[in-house]
Amino acid sequence: MSTTSDPVPMPRDVRAALKAAMRRAPQARVVVDAAPLERVSGDAERPSLVDATCVEDAVVRAHTVPGERHSEFAAFLDGTQHSQHVGQYGRAPIVLGTIAAGIRARADRKLRAWQAPIVETRVYVPKAYLPPDIFATLAAELGDEALRDTSAPDSDGVIPAPHPVLLLERAKYAVSNDRDRAERALAERWCASEHRPLFIDGGIAGSETVARASCAIGVVKSHRTLYIDGDAIDIVFSLAKGERTSVISIAPKHRPAVHSWYLRLRDPAGHDPLWGVVRVEVAETGDVARRADEVSRWVLTETAPNAMPDARWDKMAYGIRNAEEFLRAL
Amino acid sequence: MQLGRVVATEFKPNTPHQFHFWTAIDSPVGIGTIVRVDGSHPVGGVIPRVYGVVVEGFSFTDLASAMHDVIGHDGDPGSAGFAVTERTEVRLYSAAVLRQIPEEPLQPVPMGDVHLADDMDVAQALRMDAYLKEGARTGIPIGLYSAGKMNSPIYVDADFLIGPEAAHLNITGVSGLATKTSAVEWILSSIFAHFPEQKGSVAAVCFNVKGPDLCFLDLPGELTEEDRALYDTLGVPPTPFQNVTYFAPHKADGFSLNTLRSNEALGDNVEPLTWGLREVLQFAEVMLNRDDVDAKADALIDFIKERVLDREYKDASLKHTHRVRSFADLESWFRDVLESLEESGRGDTWKTHHVATIRKVRNRLSNISTRCAGLVTDDGQPSDLPWGSFEDRAVYVVDVALLEEDAQDLVFARIVTKLREQLEKRELGVKHVIVFVDELNKYAPGDGPDTYVRKMLLDISERGRYLGLVLFGAQQFRSQVHRRVVGNAATSLFGRMDADELATPGYATLSAATRVKLATLSKGTLMVRHPHFTQPIFVTFPRPAVLRGRDGAERYPQAADVALDNAVLRSLRRLDKSVTLAFVQQYTALHPADEVLRARNTTVRTRPDNVKSFFSAQFRSIIPAQPMSSKPVGVPIRLLPDDDPYGF
Repeated sequence: MSTTSDPVPMPRDVRAALKAAMRRAPQARVVVDAAPLERVSGDAERPSLVDATCVEDAVVRAHTVPGERHSEFAAFLDGTQHSQHVGQYGRAPIVLGTIAAGIRARADRKLRAWQAPIVETRVYVPKAYLPPDIFATLAAELGDEALRDTSAPDSDGVIPAPHPVLLLERAKYAVSNDRDRAERALAERWCASEHRPLFIDGGIAGSETVARASCAIGVVKSHRTLYIDGDAIDIVFSLAKGERTSVISIAPKHRPAVHSWYLRLRDPAGHDPLWGVVRVEVAETGDVARRADEVSRWVLTETAPNAMPDARWDKMAYGIRNAEEFLRAL
Repeated sequence: MQLGRVVATEFKPNTPHQFHFWTAIDSPVGIGTIVRVDGSHPVGGVIPRVYGVVVEGFSFTDLASAMHDVIGHDGDPGSAGFAVTERTEVRLYSAAVLRQIPEEPLQPVPMGDVHLADDMDVAQALRMDAYLKEGARTGIPIGLYSAGKMNSPIYVDADFLIGPEAAHLNITGVSGLATKTSAVEWILSSIFAHFPEQKGSVAAVCFNVKGPDLCFLDLPGELTEEDRALYDTLGVPPTPFQNVTYFAPHKADGFSLNTLRSNEALGDNVEPLTWGLREVLQFAEVMLNRDDVDAKADALIDFIKERVLDREYKDASLKHTHRVRSFADLESWFRDVLESLEESGRGDTWKTHHVATIRKVRNRLSNISTRCAGLVTDDGQPSDLPWGSFEDRAVYVVDVALLEEDAQDLVFARIVTKLREQLEKRELGVKHVIVFVDELNKYAPGDGPDTYVRKMLLDISERGRYLGLVLFGAQQFRSQVHRRVVGNAATSLFGRMDADELATPGYATLSAATRVKLATLSKGTLMVRHPHFTQPIFVTFPRPAVLRGRDGAERYPQAADVALDNAVLRSLRRLDKSVTLAFVQQYTALHPADEVLRARNTTVRTRPDNVKSFFSAQFRSIIPAQPMSSKPVGVPIRLLPDDDPYGF
């Protein structure tokens, strides 16, 4: 694996190395025209409800975000990934994955790249289903950093079954993990050198440094895990535009605790209950209500301009869409 | 200065003749800007360099639909300005390739950095380097190309403007925006300043066909500092033309000049343009309707030209001997012929010409004398352009603005024919003549009858460059001018254009943006097409350094019609300031007007040292009447001499 400000040579090198390795393994078959794995259904996380501790009120309730809309966000961080099934060796799918992460800093209402983005390309294969010499050939051509084993045993020590869909999903998750890591690295870099607020697409609890930085604000669009239960669900579902829930504390295992709340960005009339709802994460703070109102105002302000034509425009800030477009162009 | 990057997509690929590039929002690029692309990878060992001119521009954002923006602002346009981030916006331009270096192999334009072209780049892009070489320089400045802070003089090649490689210039533009006339005045100044010595001499004959447009070319006009700077940059002196002579026919009275430049203060270089009956009859075809005048009539006209005109004509069948020099003489001859024919009772044919043909030709030719009154002198002696002694860098303005259309055609046809004849024989005095004709829509229309004038214009367009006869034509609607006339013009200029004109097929090769730019061009800006330029280029040119026609007409109003004695006085005083009205009146009181005018014309043509005596000598001597005595005196009978031997 390598990180570079010039993203073009690196993916080409990995691709070339993979081709060379596959030429040395005559039984390997090239797969053409496979759809990107990101378009294949399947998700690592099952939808769930997790009860969290409300730190602002006795019980979760709705608050109207007060004050004039304005935003202090100085930059937007996002990551992208692209993984493709490019080869097959027996039962083992060979996946080429590219991840990118970048920060778009705002100045004079315009977004520009902040430092060099991270772009990495790797090959993802299930070592357990490849002959050792083939894996060794791949490792020799690619190097350890550019090769990932997608058949590593899970927490229960079980190796995934040789189901092709399962192995492809494992590859996709591995690519996703690499993307998360790249995003965390960039966020930590920002927190180490900047104090201005950074809008992060996703949670902030993945990194200790980021989770404790007051400048890092995570905005989560996906709600596969809802950190509410009971009546609080109704409160979230019935939030009006510009309303937020009480602040809750989220403290997952092996991760630092953060403060969080749900915020409705857009009028939900005619849409599903979670339409326009994001969950905001900030570092733990003493004055939770003031901080929640302040950050909510910033997030609400970022709804214009909208992120259309992205399908998630109801929850996505334009700065994040811009970062995605930027990374896609690399 | 790098200002963009080449981009190409599958849907918008680059080709050998067109490429696309994007720039920053605030870049100085616009339609007509010349850019240079530096390729990244060598081709045949050479890093390719491509020059292009911007022909189209696009601007868009990351929005897929306008509806998305409406939704984003809840349908309230007023809230659009409050967004904390501006949408990403792109300025994408399409450029037409002007030149690729190396020229072979001709490949699609490569990805690369885009730079604003500097002076050197512009010269290379437009292939001007070929004719701006020291020692073989044939460049004629035509204007200044500007982009950003870059200002580059643009030159056209004299070999392709005046000949012999190609020739002719055509200007199109709407009326009233000082485009066509101003451009021609500027270009003539530039040609006179830069026409290479080794190519010989050049003069211009300008037909002033409307208003006072070309009537004050020798007088200075007002110039701004910007204009002077432009003249300085382009190396052309900001002065009016130094050597201009105006020619205008007389009015029907035969002595007042029929021109808007008749102010007495400007009379020094205004000459009458008058022709004898011979000159007119040579071009009778111009004035006569082809459908009306058949071969039989032609034969009679030829007979008159060859056997009757300007010679003593005796014929046994006629009552008188004739010397036909004017239309009046000709009418007298016709009358004699017809009367003799009637009285003789010998049938209805005179010398093989049928009486009906004779009557018809008489009628048509008489009609010419009415339409050309003032252009034709009764004494048969022409006052004409200085045939055989044209001067280098001189302008000869022929003012036909106040003439009837037929008379304009006649003047035009005869002068151009004479130019061609003398250039063919190398007798004109200069090697090249530029003929400027405005209103080509009228003189060389694309449709309508095949007139003599149109045939002549076609002839100049197609063969003039071999003779050194160059047509500078102008019109409002290029699409309505004969295709071969505009097609043979190697160089074309376009000022502000009418939108309807731009919608005609002739402009289909221009991009929509270029057409819009043409429809909104400001004064003093032109689009130039020239054989060396593979794409049209926009240039600005300075205001001409001559008095504008309208200003001149206000400052020097047209002289009021004067009586015969005053008209003669004016003419003679140009030769001798001591001539007085009383001197002239001695003759106008005693002699008929035609005789006085003939004397004046002869004097003006001859330019004698002693004007008064020469003028006086032109009149027949008239013996004063002897006074009668009141009383008869008887004469005494003479006495015989005393020594007379035969006396009584």
